[in-house]
Amino acid sequence: MATTPHASFLRYERYRYLKFASLLCLLSIVAYWWHEPQDGPNGGTWLGYTLGTIGALLIVWLAWLGVRKRRYSSTLGTVKGWLSAHVYLGLALLTIATLHTGFQFGWNIHTVAFVLMAIVVLSGIFGIAAYARLPTLITENMGDADRETLIDEILDLNQQSLKIADLLGPEVHRIISRSTERIRIGGGLRDQLFRPLPQGRGLLDELRRVLADKQRAAAAEAYDPDSSSTVIFMAGEMAQARKSGDAAEKARQLMELISRRNALITRVNRDIQLHAQMQIWLYFHVPLSIALLAALVAHIVSVFLYW
Amino acid sequence: MLPGNCKIAIVGSGPAGLSAAARAAELGVSHVLLEAESWLSNTIYRYQKGKHVMAEPDVLPLRSPLEFGAGKREAVLGAWDAGTTNLKVNVQHRSRVASISGQKGAFTLKLDNGAELAAEVVVMAIGLQGNLRKLGCPGEDLDWVQYQLDDPDEYQGETIVIVGAGDAAIENAIALADHNKVYILNRRDEFDRAKPGNLSGISKAIEDGKLTCLFNTKPVAAENAPAGKRLRVATNDGETELAVDRIIARLGATPPRAFVESTGVTFPNKDPNSVPAVSPQYESNVPGLYIIGALAGFPLIKQAMNQGYEVVEFIEGRAVEPADAPLLREKFSILSDVKNIDEALETMRRRVPILGQLTPLQLREFMIDSDIRAPHDGEIIFELNDYSDTFFSVVSGTVVIEADPNDPSKKFTLGKGDFFGEMSLISGRRRSATVKAGEKCVLIESPRRSMNKLINSVAAVKRIIDEVFLRRIIQGRIAPTLPPEELADLVSSAEVRQFRAGETLFSEGDAGDALHLIRKGSVTISREIGGKDIVLAYVPAGQYVGEMALVSDLPRSATARAAVATETIRLDGGAFKALMMRRTQVRDRVQEVYRTRVAQNVVSQSKPMGDILEFMMSQGLGEATDVLLIDEALCVRCDQCEKACADTHGNVSRLKREAGPTFDKLHVPTSCRHCEHPHCMKDCPPDAIKRAPNGEVHITDACIGCGNCERNCPYGVIQMGVQSKEKPSLWRWMMFGGEEPGRYHPKKDKNAAKKAAKCDMCKDLDGGPACVRACPTGAAMRASPEQFVKMYRGGH
Repeated sequence: MATTPHASFLRYERYRYLKFASLLCLLSIVAYWWHEPQDGPNGGTWLGYTLGTIGALLIVWLAWLGVRKRRYSSTLGTVKGWLSAHVYLGLALLTIATLHTGFQFGWNIHTVAFVLMAIVVLSGIFGIAAYARLPTLITENMGDADRETLIDEILDLNQQSLKIADLLGPEVHRIISRSTERIRIGGGLRDQLFRPLPQGRGLLDELRRVLADKQRAAAAEAYDPDSSSTVIFMAGEMAQARKSGDAAEKARQLMELISRRNALITRVNRDIQLHAQMQIWLYFHVPLSIALLAALVAHIVSVFLYW
Repeated sequence: MLPGNCKIAIVGSGPAGLSAAARAAELGVSHVLLEAESWLSNTIYRYQKGKHVMAEPDVLPLRSPLEFGAGKREAVLGAWDAGTTNLKVNVQHRSRVASISGQKGAFTLKLDNGAELAAEVVVMAIGLQGNLRKLGCPGEDLDWVQYQLDDPDEYQGETIVIVGAGDAAIENAIALADHNKVYILNRRDEFDRAKPGNLSGISKAIEDGKLTCLFNTKPVAAENAPAGKRLRVATNDGETELAVDRIIARLGATPPRAFVESTGVTFPNKDPNSVPAVSPQYESNVPGLYIIGALAGFPLIKQAMNQGYEVVEFIEGRAVEPADAPLLREKFSILSDVKNIDEALETMRRRVPILGQLTPLQLREFMIDSDIRAPHDGEIIFELNDYSDTFFSVVSGTVVIEADPNDPSKKFTLGKGDFFGEMSLISGRRRSATVKAGEKCVLIESPRRSMNKLINSVAAVKRIIDEVFLRRIIQGRIAPTLPPEELADLVSSAEVRQFRAGETLFSEGDAGDALHLIRKGSVTISREIGGKDIVLAYVPAGQYVGEMALVSDLPRSATARAAVATETIRLDGGAFKALMMRRTQVRDRVQEVYRTRVAQNVVSQSKPMGDILEFMMSQGLGEATDVLLIDEALCVRCDQCEKACADTHGNVSRLKREAGPTFDKLHVPTSCRHCEHPHCMKDCPPDAIKRAPNGEVHITDACIGCGNCERNCPYGVIQMGVQSKEKPSLWRWMMFGGEEPGRYHPKKDKNAAKKAAKCDMCKDLDGGPACVRACPTGAAMRASPEQFVKMYRGGH
């Protein structure tokens, strides 16, 4: 594929925020390495407080993206710039917060806050991966079409196959109408995420069987040995043959319509799956961020309370 | 029932005719108002129920015995019905006029039903809609034969025959087929007049057996037979009969022009948009025959009603100051020495040759649309690369044109009677020079629409502008410093050529016999490489193509094709070569362009973007000035772009992210391309669609919600919607849920007027287009065609 002139948020302003975040991490690490407090590195030293303050401010600022991206008339940078900074500074937060702990963990609110922060950052990393990979897969799956058009087409193919099935007798009609009633698009969260709903192979097999039976029956009827000698029958047989040829043609059309429909259903479900996969991480990232903000407040309050 | 004689016969009961009749009734002048239908004002009567009727232009006072104000269709029609009854207007319904003959004082009007009446003067107010074509066979006026379908859901379980093969017939047939048995009658064997969408729709409906099409079939008679309603039809195999419940004939309308011409009234040219010229008293070239309303070129209701009032005053021999006089007085107020408007108008006409071609009424209207400007010495009128498209005429003083900001020697002066700004008007592109006011300069600045109207209705104006355009573009592009005499041969060899989209200007291998200056539209250059046509370059209006073959004497090295409907100025190769021989500076200049183009072609062949360029051309890049593009590999389908658009534009998004075609991974969402010659501007009654200096095509508050622009846009980017100012609070949504900013759909207010909404490139917002600024991943981008090509070629 040719590259488009578009530039990803990851490359924003020639990696401005990657550079900035790396520098921040580097400075923190150097300071941590150089700083040798009496009772070992921890959050209570001057460096610990500094890193803690930077980390807390970063968390609040990172969460502010949710506000900024909905302020559509804001001229404070572009959302792309914000997201670029959000990603790189969010990754830097992992280093800074870890250094802030001085690797002192325990069963307390402080560690809860740290763990929440780590999960939020990790879900964010998942998000970056999803954003990098899935959009292309969605395009490859859908091509030029959009979901609504495909669903319209599926409904249309249903109508067409019902019409043909009508001509092929009640049994076929029953099978087709049952299958159209059973079409499932989307489904529950688990279905959406992991399993594009399969469209019954069983249906096509059943259809094929019924049609073959019918054809055999028709052929048997045509070769009724008792009346094969009469001229009148010859004409009848030819008509019958034409009729069964016609039915065979109809059956072929029907099979084709159903296969086409099923292929479309698979495509739509795949589209739903990809969209779900692209968004699911946000359902962790955002609520956990809010939990993190709460834990952060508790952490800070408790630190100052027990000072 | 008809009075044999009256003073004023008024034909057509639209706003203009109705107002004229009401004024005549008020004055007690003997009159008759002839209306073909059983109701008044057929065009407005046919508006969809509850449609909001606007009363533009706001500044114009209403002058009519009838009431009129913005409001619902029912209220407007109700007020007119009441006024007509109160004033005892003599209305004759179902009186279609078949012919008008005679002269002032003794006109004879023949009606369709054979009746005749005499009148001293005739006021024609029949509008431009024309008459619906009827079935053309016995029974065409039966009550179950109709020529209109308001609501397809009104009919269920009927057998309906649709007659016609145009878009209206197809749309009706498909809509009715859901609940009725539908036949569609086509005189011919295919639906070749239909839009592609309708064509595939009807073919599919026929194939699916949803409805039955009778090809090569004509109606013979509709009749109430003893057994029921019957339609006899003639097919190739003979006549047959259909049992029907209803016939709906959609056969289009006959434009009123033929009828108008049959009365002796002349039109200025063959252009279907042209209207007959009338005097300031609305009298046509036939004395005693007056024309008012849309047929006289005044499509707005209020203008038409005012003219109805005024025309009766004129006929009664009273001089009325036209309703627009206060407006004109205000326009002229900038010139302190103007006392009398009529004199001032006359002075302008004398001084500016192109205005000399206008009738006094045309001039008045032209001046109301235009602005008079008196810029001080040295003031910039417009700058190079501005996107404005107004046209300027110099009334007095001078202006200085600076073609090249870096080269102060390239400038020339225009004086009284000259005009400028025609380049942008014709090509739809940016200004090609900077213009500054000289001493004591007075200018008329006219909007693009008024100019186009003039060009369409006054042949001499078109000729003058075309000639000047030709001379200036040749001078500007090829020989800026040559005296005009040197160019005379070349100019006289020039001719304007028109090409449809996709048509070839010249093909690879042809002998090079001419140079094409692109005057409007754009051209792609392609070359056959490996058996496939590869597009190498895109050449916009204002540039030229075809110089290579002239300079090198080799056959054409590439094929030039019109990307959109294009006009070029074809300059003859012989005259051009002769000029190059005589003048080395011309040769040098052309060779310079030639060299850069050769170099460019080498680059493009090494970095082919043929397919993508071709795709973009099919998406209207060839006439675009700015396109929204989405890289689907970056797009996370969050719809931030749409939300940002809705949030910043009255809760109506002007773009649809998901809709629109995709090529490779480049997606062109349904969003305005800001065309060079915007299709939406073509037919906007209140002239509400404007182009801003940076190129944004936008809709002003003057929109009356008629929907013409929505229909005219080939890219489907205009929507009719109710815009609202309120916005949900972000914090309330974050804390308590409810309406989210960007996804807010206010409750539908039935009384709210729908107006057209389209992208305005956020011209009123700081920071540029909200859709691009709100895109988190960098997938959304806006680019001009030139930027697009450059970015693709040059990577990032």
